[in-house]
Amino acid sequence: MTPAPSLSPPRKTRREVPYWLLAMGLLFVLGLWLIVADEGYTSIFRALSSGVITTLWVTFVAFMLATLLGLLIAIMRTSGVKLLREVATFYVELIRGIPILVFLFYVAFVAAPAIVAGINWALTPVIGAGLIEPLTVRAFDFVWRAIVALTVCYSAFIAEIFRAGIEAVDRGQIEAARALGLSRWHTFRFIIFPQALRTILPPLGNDFVSMIKDTALVSALGVQDITQLGKVYSSGTFKFFETYNVVAFLYLTMTISLSLLVRLLERYMARRSR
Amino acid sequence: MKILPILAALAFSAIPAAAQELPDLGGRTITAVTENAYVPLNFADPQTGEGIGFEYDLFNEIAARLNATVDWQLASWDVMIQAVRDGQYDVGMDGITINDEREEQIDFSDPYLTSEQLMLVRADEERFTNAESFAADEDLLVGAQAGTTNFYVAVYEVLDGDEANPRIKLFETFGTSVQALASGDVDTVLMDKTSAEGYIGANPGAFKVIGEPLGTEQFGFIFTPDSDLVEPVNAALAQIRQDGTLAELEQKWFYEYNAAQ
Repeated sequence: MTPAPSLSPPRKTRREVPYWLLAMGLLFVLGLWLIVADEGYTSIFRALSSGVITTLWVTFVAFMLATLLGLLIAIMRTSGVKLLREVATFYVELIRGIPILVFLFYVAFVAAPAIVAGINWALTPVIGAGLIEPLTVRAFDFVWRAIVALTVCYSAFIAEIFRAGIEAVDRGQIEAARALGLSRWHTFRFIIFPQALRTILPPLGNDFVSMIKDTALVSALGVQDITQLGKVYSSGTFKFFETYNVVAFLYLTMTISLSLLVRLLERYMARRSR
Repeated sequence: MKILPILAALAFSAIPAAAQELPDLGGRTITAVTENAYVPLNFADPQTGEGIGFEYDLFNEIAARLNATVDWQLASWDVMIQAVRDGQYDVGMDGITINDEREEQIDFSDPYLTSEQLMLVRADEERFTNAESFAADEDLLVGAQAGTTNFYVAVYEVLDGDEANPRIKLFETFGTSVQALASGDVDTVLMDKTSAEGYIGANPGAFKVIGEPLGTEQFGFIFTPDSDLVEPVNAALAQIRQDGTLAELEQKWFYEYNAAQ
């Protein structure tokens, strides 16, 4: 692509000193110092640290699944088949209109038993023959129900990110590719997707960061993430204020470092596209 | 060797009569659930993170006497009754008040504890000195968690029996309602003796307790409807009460355990 001609000579991008980042770094050091030096904070940190693994695990798994599902929905939404488009639009609008917390309870207590009953129904011949035991709701624990709920909720948002990315690719290129004899799949794989990726990655990264925060909702089911462990620790020690300081510190450490990574990625992509 | 059967007979007769009548669950595993957010009934040991408390000790003792093992699981209070009802867990406990509405959803054991609630107030509180003077002043607010013991005691023993009384402010967790008390959003929070001492100890000079103990709320274990565990658990509970073990556990968790350590 040729850059648009500019009337004035290109402005030198002067790097501003990111004072906000310095302030954030200072806050981080202060938090770290408290955790190392103050015995009370040390024990809170120790109590909550196993929750970090749960939080990250739920975030990673749910985000990966949501990205795959979101891509599928986006392909459906941009497809030439009317039925697929309508189904995908229905899905996106339905899911985006429901708060995640509400959806979480719905998955946990309406969808999960229904899924288990459905699997048992589908496997009736095998179960009837005594080959396997019927599934119970216990096989589907709260961590996985939470992952399913987050996956579905985020897939709707991620689908819209993908759609925007796909639609941003110039129609002329698609027509040219088709005219050159590329199949539909090859057009998507080699022409649309690589270009769409550039538009998609930054907002996708932001969604990842916000998913880290939204996983706090799974504490409503009692999943032992950072938030739930904070609730448990503060109720056992009556140190409400201090505990939530550490909870916030842990989330901030993860979200800020990841959004910095997203910024770097954005800058890298912008440079490459020039 | 004639002496062996005699010894065995002697040993057998030494066991209290009730023990022989308890059902034997044959090593069965009971899946039990709690939240670990209710001192001193169930909470995480601040040092080790392990679940401890009155309910852990009591139910482990019940299971041991029935020749069963307990698989302890965690879930939040919000979803506990529903999860037990769905059969995800066999038994749930979290200081659950026995009442008719819940009786329709799940099965209850016999009560194992009668809760006594105290009024925690800010240390400088002078506008009221007990439940009556609190109720008399329309400006005073009480913080509670919906559907918990402190909520029911606030409604039926302190205020007028109206569950929608605007003088009750609802909070998500126990800790939040105490923070609301500290910041002046509410004027009292009801809690048992152990929790009250815990908060007073952890926040020196911030809180005090006033008035007489309130409430006759009874706690029971909850079971999946039509559970075959209700009867054995009740039988074991009766025995534990009779031989003084229950009183020992109360002594240990409500009087000896210092939550403010």
